[in-house]
Amino acid sequence: MTTKGSLCLSSISLRTGIVVGVGTSLLMAAPASAALTPAEINDFRNTVGNRVEAATILGGDYGIGGGSYFSSGGNSKADINVSKFGGSGDVGDPQSLGNLGIGWQPSLQGSMGYLTAKNNFQSGLLDGDTSEYKTFAIQFGGGARFWFDDHFSISPTVMGMYGHTENTYTARSAFALANLPEAKQLGLIDWNVDTWTIRPSLNLQYEYTWHRTIFTLSSEPTYFYTESFRSSSPNLNVNGDSEAWVNKIDVDVPLGVELFGHELRTGGYFSRTDLFGDLQNGLNTSSVYEAHGRLVLDFLGELWKVKWIGLGGSYLWGDNIHGWSIGADVAFRF
Amino acid sequence: MAANIIRRVVFNLLTVITALILTGCWTPPNANVQPKGEPRLIQSGVPVESVQEQATVQAVDASLRIIRLKLSNGSLITCKVSQRVANFDQIQSGDMVKVTLTEELAIYVLKDGRLPVTGGTDEAVNFNAKVQLVDPSYRLLTLQYSNGQTEVLKTDLNAKLLEMQAGDAVVLQTAEAMAIRIQKQSVMAHETIPN
Repeated sequence: MTTKGSLCLSSISLRTGIVVGVGTSLLMAAPASAALTPAEINDFRNTVGNRVEAATILGGDYGIGGGSYFSSGGNSKADINVSKFGGSGDVGDPQSLGNLGIGWQPSLQGSMGYLTAKNNFQSGLLDGDTSEYKTFAIQFGGGARFWFDDHFSISPTVMGMYGHTENTYTARSAFALANLPEAKQLGLIDWNVDTWTIRPSLNLQYEYTWHRTIFTLSSEPTYFYTESFRSSSPNLNVNGDSEAWVNKIDVDVPLGVELFGHELRTGGYFSRTDLFGDLQNGLNTSSVYEAHGRLVLDFLGELWKVKWIGLGGSYLWGDNIHGWSIGADVAFRF
Repeated sequence: MAANIIRRVVFNLLTVITALILTGCWTPPNANVQPKGEPRLIQSGVPVESVQEQATVQAVDASLRIIRLKLSNGSLITCKVSQRVANFDQIQSGDMVKVTLTEELAIYVLKDGRLPVTGGTDEAVNFNAKVQLVDPSYRLLTLQYSNGQTEVLKTDLNAKLLEMQAGDAVVLQTAEAMAIRIQKQSVMAHETIPN
């Protein structure tokens, strides 16, 4: 059995978009009425809370790719850019777990990312205004991978994530300029919030080598619980559940030719991620497909802990979302 | 709806995992097994890329640029020293060095350490290590030496790794020192390799 695990620095990226038109309808309504009704506050909390939760997961979670997204929904469209650095890896060679006929090895996961989302209003009362979201998130965790034979393994893991999201509203329209102080006072705009997320997950993996080509099938249901612990807005707090279920097939093909003294490898993966709960609401889509390709040079056994270095790119699409990423593709084996 | 689906999936997963735990058949990599197939030479002259070894210099032949090394895995090798090694004249017996070697291997399937030869007889093969693990995709060969130490080698593109398996015998055919770094200088006298 080969040593498993790699840490990927995937997608140093430029992509575009998700729905960010949050609470801006309230901006139009609230100052006029001087105070928000309980229903409006609830609506604001739910909508913005879902978006903060989704932005934090999209921005910081290692399982969801970075890049540029474009999202559409309702009356607004938005561009989102996510730069991410992280991945997962199994440490060392599997060791016997007693006499159970099971091998095990520690597993580590980590990621950090930065998301920016910009909504440009091009019609109506807010014409010319922009609402910008920035999220920084960092996560770390681990668990173990258990091998039941040379091909099949499962890896239960738990991760914790910290997220910071802030909103900046730039008013250019006459309406927004006139109502800006009230909107700020109500915490509808220019707010910031800190969140924590707990993320248990279970990865099931089947790996098969045919000649020299490696096929990896994996399935990973993941649960996210997110809660805010500090908010600058009295009307904003985050408290929600999300689930994601990634099913993926990865192919890793050695090409048998060398470049700069290293063998060229190609491959990629196709995945479908089903989204549930607030993540589905926040991203306004129930599933995301991703097709990823890469061309890399094999450094395994030649450069300390490095498995490959090369280029990779992805295209993602879903009900109301599409995006792409391109960047360095680096993998490690520990 | 979604929660129900997830609950059902989790239940099914737990059932499958429980079944797997009860039927686990993973075994750790083991070099001490009899490989399948008739005893034979699988491939000779298999180049492996540079490997770094801790070694003690046993003897030096300055005129032929040859040194004898005792590697940290316990094996003794005699190897040529590349012209690229500029500090060759400073190396003497007893030195502890870090040496970068390029090696060529021969891989055999043996039965009781013996290989059939023409005439219906067989001969003992003095092998250095056994194959513990083969990764044909990344061209990695994990060897286990007699003292239990393991080493992972990167083989060249032409290595017939798909024909190799755990338990195959490995003979180090040639080795060339491409770089030598003296880690601890010996005070012993210079010794030459006897012919």
